[in-house]
Amino acid sequence: MSDITKIRNFSIVAHIDHGKSTLADRLLELCGAVDKRDMESQILDNMELERERGITIKARAVKLDYTAKDGNTYTLNLIDTPGHVDFNYEVSRSLAACEGALLVVDASQGIEAQTLANTYLAVDAGLEVLPVINKIDLPAADPDRVAAEVEDVIGIDASEAPRISAKTGENVADVLEYIVKNVPAPTGDPDAPLRCLIFDSQYDPYKGVIVYLRAFDGTLRAGDRVRMMATGAEYDVVEVGHLRPLTMERRDVLTPGEVGYFTASIKNVSDTRVGDTVTLADRPTEEALPGYRKVQSMVFSGVYPADGSKYPDLRDALEKLKLNDASLSYEPESSVALGFGFRCGFLGLLHMEIIQERLEREFNLDLITTAPSVVYKIHYTDGRVEMVDNPLNFPQGDVLDYAEEPFVKASIITPKEYTGSIMELCQERRGVFRNMTYIASDRVELHYELPLNEIIYDFFDALKSRTRGYASLDYELCDYRKSELVKLDILLNGDIVDALSFIVHREKAYPRARRITEKLKENIPRQMFEIPIQAAIGGKIIARETVKALRKDVLAKCYGGDITRKKKLLEKQKEGKKRMRSLGTVDVPQEAFMAVLKLDE
Amino acid sequence: MAKHKSIVRIGGVSPSRTRIPRSSSAIRSGNLTHSAAHPGSQRRLGLYIHIPFCRKKCSYCDFYSLSCGESSDFDTLSERYATVLERHLTETAKLTTSPVDTVYFGGGTPTVLSTRQLTRLLSVIKKRFKLLPGAEITVEANPESALPKTLKALRRAGFNRISLGVQSLSDHELERLGRIHDSDTAKHAFQSARDAGFKNISIDLMFGIEDQTPESWRDTLRRAIELHPEHISCYGLRVEDGTPLALRASTANLADDDTQADMYLDACDVLADAGYRHYEISNWAQPGMESRHNLRYWRLEPYIGFGPAAHSDCFGARYSNVRDIESYMRGIELGGAVLDEYEDIEESERAFEYVMLSLRTTDGVDLDSLSKRFSAPPGDARELMRSLTQQELASYEGGGRWCLTERGWLISNSIILKVIDAMSGADRPQDRNS
Repeated sequence: MSDITKIRNFSIVAHIDHGKSTLADRLLELCGAVDKRDMESQILDNMELERERGITIKARAVKLDYTAKDGNTYTLNLIDTPGHVDFNYEVSRSLAACEGALLVVDASQGIEAQTLANTYLAVDAGLEVLPVINKIDLPAADPDRVAAEVEDVIGIDASEAPRISAKTGENVADVLEYIVKNVPAPTGDPDAPLRCLIFDSQYDPYKGVIVYLRAFDGTLRAGDRVRMMATGAEYDVVEVGHLRPLTMERRDVLTPGEVGYFTASIKNVSDTRVGDTVTLADRPTEEALPGYRKVQSMVFSGVYPADGSKYPDLRDALEKLKLNDASLSYEPESSVALGFGFRCGFLGLLHMEIIQERLEREFNLDLITTAPSVVYKIHYTDGRVEMVDNPLNFPQGDVLDYAEEPFVKASIITPKEYTGSIMELCQERRGVFRNMTYIASDRVELHYELPLNEIIYDFFDALKSRTRGYASLDYELCDYRKSELVKLDILLNGDIVDALSFIVHREKAYPRARRITEKLKENIPRQMFEIPIQAAIGGKIIARETVKALRKDVLAKCYGGDITRKKKLLEKQKEGKKRMRSLGTVDVPQEAFMAVLKLDE
Repeated sequence: MAKHKSIVRIGGVSPSRTRIPRSSSAIRSGNLTHSAAHPGSQRRLGLYIHIPFCRKKCSYCDFYSLSCGESSDFDTLSERYATVLERHLTETAKLTTSPVDTVYFGGGTPTVLSTRQLTRLLSVIKKRFKLLPGAEITVEANPESALPKTLKALRRAGFNRISLGVQSLSDHELERLGRIHDSDTAKHAFQSARDAGFKNISIDLMFGIEDQTPESWRDTLRRAIELHPEHISCYGLRVEDGTPLALRASTANLADDDTQADMYLDACDVLADAGYRHYEISNWAQPGMESRHNLRYWRLEPYIGFGPAAHSDCFGARYSNVRDIESYMRGIELGGAVLDEYEDIEESERAFEYVMLSLRTTDGVDLDSLSKRFSAPPGDARELMRSLTQQELASYEGGGRWCLTERGWLISNSIILKVIDAMSGADRPQDRNS
């Protein structure tokens, strides 16, 4: 049993690229948690995709032993969190497992949108927020200015903030002392009814689900029968222990303040929801830990195998991903155009991208995805209200009374010279301006309310290109608002292609329709007959392009009877055709479906 | 379409190996009559003799041919090559008793060989094969090499058809093609061929040449017609990888596909008005003057190719000789292998070939006889042909025969693939929807 006064539970929060994972690597090294030969960068991000993109997708926890200058050995539990807005809920649950958070700020860039968003999350979770100024080795580093920014904007004391370079290792040792001194020790009653917070879980093919948790009260032992309070699922604990960087360290018990894991031959991660409270089945606590909610998918998209015969493979792949990612939801759907596939729900755009990329990479699937959609609230004339996440189910005509769409509160931090173009962008995207504050003499924070529908379109790309990548964005769902929404259908050769339909604000319908028909024209090869591409709202055509009929596709010459060469050329052409989808009489290449997802101006 | 699984690469020279593929008992046993007779009775044979030399390679050509300048001692090389061909012809003749109906000397430029050498080769053929009286015996020639003396000698030797590589009657376009003749030379060559007694003259023309306009193309056609050739072939220029033209294609003034298509249809009109019959995608002839040798390719009739990279469809298989002249010559001289690719053609594959090739000609495809000839039922091909007919891409000729129209020929690749799909029923679900 650990001495609770010698435990420090903390996490690191930062804007993307401010050096969170590099600092984590250095702390691991300094505590001798990893052999030099096992050390590699971003050691906590062990997913290939995480390393490649330099992001953290899954939360990780690791126990470090640190002998401080006072001579005592402390247990430092570092809980690494994803930084992206899509995973805010996971972040907030990870933070709830800690008493303190290191707030890493880039000494050259200063505070960014996610710095603020994550700080608010940490403050909301009642954490001691400890600023750390990183990247002091950069030529453009200005730690004094950034420290002042932290004090002015966030309102926390930065005078003692270590000024470090996680990259070179400079002053990183100070951070450990800083943690020991400033992160409060946890409290808890080992004899009270068990209360542990699940902050993550992971599927292991041998042990079943490994549940990551923080013990608050009570004592958890192998053999205990536990109950997840939100899901009601009960299991017999097989194993408990601590988390080391590369291994799991089996222990007899987990006591208050400790961070660790348990396994219980759990088959399904959805039984062990992030944020849920674990208690003992025969001596349950009265009150669950606060803050649990079921995560809601915000963005939906149809996911289809490019090759229809791979449908079972896609199903298996989704099942496997779901084992590790309870926030992924999917159900079978079918499309006239694309055959059998799945309607998948994601936390946000990044989550969607990650899932799609993992499906393609880890499961070797070739996918066609439909345009992402948000969840609309449909009010029918007969008084019924329905949530609709698929354009196919969007009602048209008299049955529709009105529709509502989700809005988000967005915060955009930008160098002030881009303010004008960002305001223009938000205006174009039907944004409602709330306010603007200066966070430094040259940087501002803009608050807008924006339809989520516009953000999932190409808002990030537009923001990036208009601010040369200097602006940062964060948002959270705020409410549903009545809106003039229409369903836009795309017709090829007179037939609606269901997979290309989407919901759009009436005022945006025309330019979007024009753009999409142009894009399709670029991507659909000429065929034996002329192909009209049309965009329509409720049967009324609002845009049209034409793919001209193929005029010349012939092997004219035959060199001395070389028929084999002719056959090979035709064979090749046939292979090329195989990669296309036949929609009615029109062959549509996969790229055409992809092209309409990227309509950047 | 069956996969080309059965292609065996035997290439290279390996004296220890027999020149005849083990997998083809017909070739080894010499039992050609039996094999080539399938499925008809005694079938006539065509011979193709490849002369892989040119005085200068044209900028668009990717066919296997050597520029004479590349060899320091062309006389020795050409003499050795002629001797090798002689031997290959003699050995092959022992394997067959089929009567030979067409002989075609192509290239390259056959006339870079001396008339003496060409005469010798033709006499070997006459001596060793059962050459039918009235056989069509063609020699290709480029205008600059078609001298009166040469032409007379060739005619005397027994060549009765000549194919002149005129390409264009615009000097600027000829220069762009990298040809070494001009339009006057071409016209003189034609006249000399007539004077030498050739009653069957074909000329090759190209459209889509760099800097060519629809007007200059029609002009070339008109001036070609004025010469009254019995046969005209028109080919659209294709930029082939690895050719000098490919290197400058991005900046060259080349007609796009649409313009080439218009030029093709122009040719169809102009030549029809002049009384030429458009009997194959790229070939026009005065009635009765169709190239019998060329038609064999489209009619699945057997032919044997001699020389490097030459192709054969015989003994129930398609095969080709090694591409490299040195390997070919040594293979023959040492009694080793000269095969490059060898493919046994299964019946289903033949059905595919039949559709692909017969649709190129005014013979058209006989869907009624498909089942009988190849045990390949036409599936939905008739429905497809009917819908193509509505789009004026095909026409019904009666007796189960369907042809493509000239517009259909222009996109015949797409159509052929659709027909094959329809035969195998692959398109069925989609077609029902539409």
